[in-house]
Amino acid sequence: MPRANQALDPDNDSEALAELARRLRLTVTPEDLTALAQQLQVIDELEEKALQDTAPILRMDADWHD
Amino acid sequence: MTDSGALIDLSISEAAAALRRGATTSVALTQATLARIKETEPTLQAYATVPAELALAAAERADRELAAGQDRGPLQGIPIAVKDNCYSKDIRTEVGSKVYAGFLPDYDATVVAKLHAAGAVLIGKTVCHEFSCGGSDPPTRSPWDLSRFPGGSSIGSGVALAARSAFGAIGTDTGGSVRIPASINNLVGMKATYGRVSAYGVVPLAWSLDHVGPMTRTVLDNALMLRAIAGQDPQDVNSARVAVPDFAAGIDGGTAGARIGIDRGYFLYPGVVDSVRAATDGVIETLAALGADIVEVNLPELALTRETLSTIRMVESASYHRRQIQEQGHLYSPGTRATLEIGQVIPATAYVAALRARERFRTAMKALFKRETLDALITPTIPVLAPLRADVWQPRADMENGETPTDGFVHHVYPANLSGQPAISAPAGFSPDGLPIGYSLIGRPFDEATLYRIAYAYEKSQNWNERQPPQAYPTG
Repeated sequence: MPRANQALDPDNDSEALAELARRLRLTVTPEDLTALAQQLQVIDELEEKALQDTAPILRMDADWHD
Repeated sequence: MTDSGALIDLSISEAAAALRRGATTSVALTQATLARIKETEPTLQAYATVPAELALAAAERADRELAAGQDRGPLQGIPIAVKDNCYSKDIRTEVGSKVYAGFLPDYDATVVAKLHAAGAVLIGKTVCHEFSCGGSDPPTRSPWDLSRFPGGSSIGSGVALAARSAFGAIGTDTGGSVRIPASINNLVGMKATYGRVSAYGVVPLAWSLDHVGPMTRTVLDNALMLRAIAGQDPQDVNSARVAVPDFAAGIDGGTAGARIGIDRGYFLYPGVVDSVRAATDGVIETLAALGADIVEVNLPELALTRETLSTIRMVESASYHRRQIQEQGHLYSPGTRATLEIGQVIPATAYVAALRARERFRTAMKALFKRETLDALITPTIPVLAPLRADVWQPRADMENGETPTDGFVHHVYPANLSGQPAISAPAGFSPDGLPIGYSLIGRPFDEATLYRIAYAYEKSQNWNERQPPQAYPTG
């Protein structure tokens, strides 16, 4: 299945996130953005390894034992 | 029964019974609660607003109705506090924010409307962290130890209940904000199934993670409150079209045959301090002795709940606050503003990936419950005792990986927000120096009744909930 994202590099992406944050005039700190880049790296790796057939649907049901 | 000290110590179910046998009145309960608020607020600062005249008027109405035989159920005439992120018509609702300073909603949140319909007395609006996120430092103090973190973001609801300045309270829980203050304040807190309680009229933190829930001093009280506030609401698109049972019926059915899973690798990880580990083991041993089957389980997908939930929370919070920050950003405290706007830089593809990861997690959790025919998972509610207020965001001295107490909080509470499953926190004991410890049960969707039944059996075997915080607050 084609990838939705290019692979993320935490270092490069914290710089990219910082640039976007600066353009949007956000007040976030470099430390926040570094942590966010690492968080997004985890999500990206998970997407690559395990989410190919998973749709983003949250449906609650009461049949867990049926 | 006229002694106000005795009145404020009653549970909701005890007070409801006293009202119906004529041993007290709602006005007496309300006056005693207002007196307690006056006594404790200078120190504890649990309340943002106390509409005393409206509360007394509601109490008089409840007494008139009960005298006339109009019985609205167990909350009628009972003073209940509500977190200040829930709209309350013509009663100040400030969400801990200067943006909402002096705001008077022109309608009630559904949870408030349901409390009114049940005849409850809205005794006050309780302090919450600014916009229900952790970037601010409210003035509220813990009745257990003034130097300790009192919980959040339903901070005032937990403190008011522990201090006996309310009989029950409403909190909201996007990442543990009902269960964490419940645990820290020796209370029962229920985050019911996503959609069980309407969030209409509640200022959102993250729509797909937000839950409204009851906080009480006993399990039975919690079951009574949930029944009153639950139910499908056409004004909340995420509200579930599922019947609301009488959660108190069968609550004394015991735990025989209940299958309770424990993932020790995740929930008893090295960050769990000794006193919490011992208390959790004590709950497990007691439940086993009461007839429950304890099942060792392993759910690797738990490991990524933090990154997944955080990504969803950040984007949804940023979406809600973006325009408001553009127009009134100066009215946000710096920490809150940064927390609420960072999601603007998250790619849409990452948000969707996090939603997909949530579905994968929910599917794995469902498969585990089905495979092991589980009724619940058991966990410590949080891995640490209430930290000193100054240490909440600081790396723990006993952890080499830089983990803060807040990191530990989310480790245990995020999974149920992410999956939408019901989760209850209840008292599990005390540390040697008298700080409360809580445990949690995570259940099947819309099966809160089983969690109440298990928690009730444990509560009756130990009665930790009867211990009160120190009474001698410095006043003024």
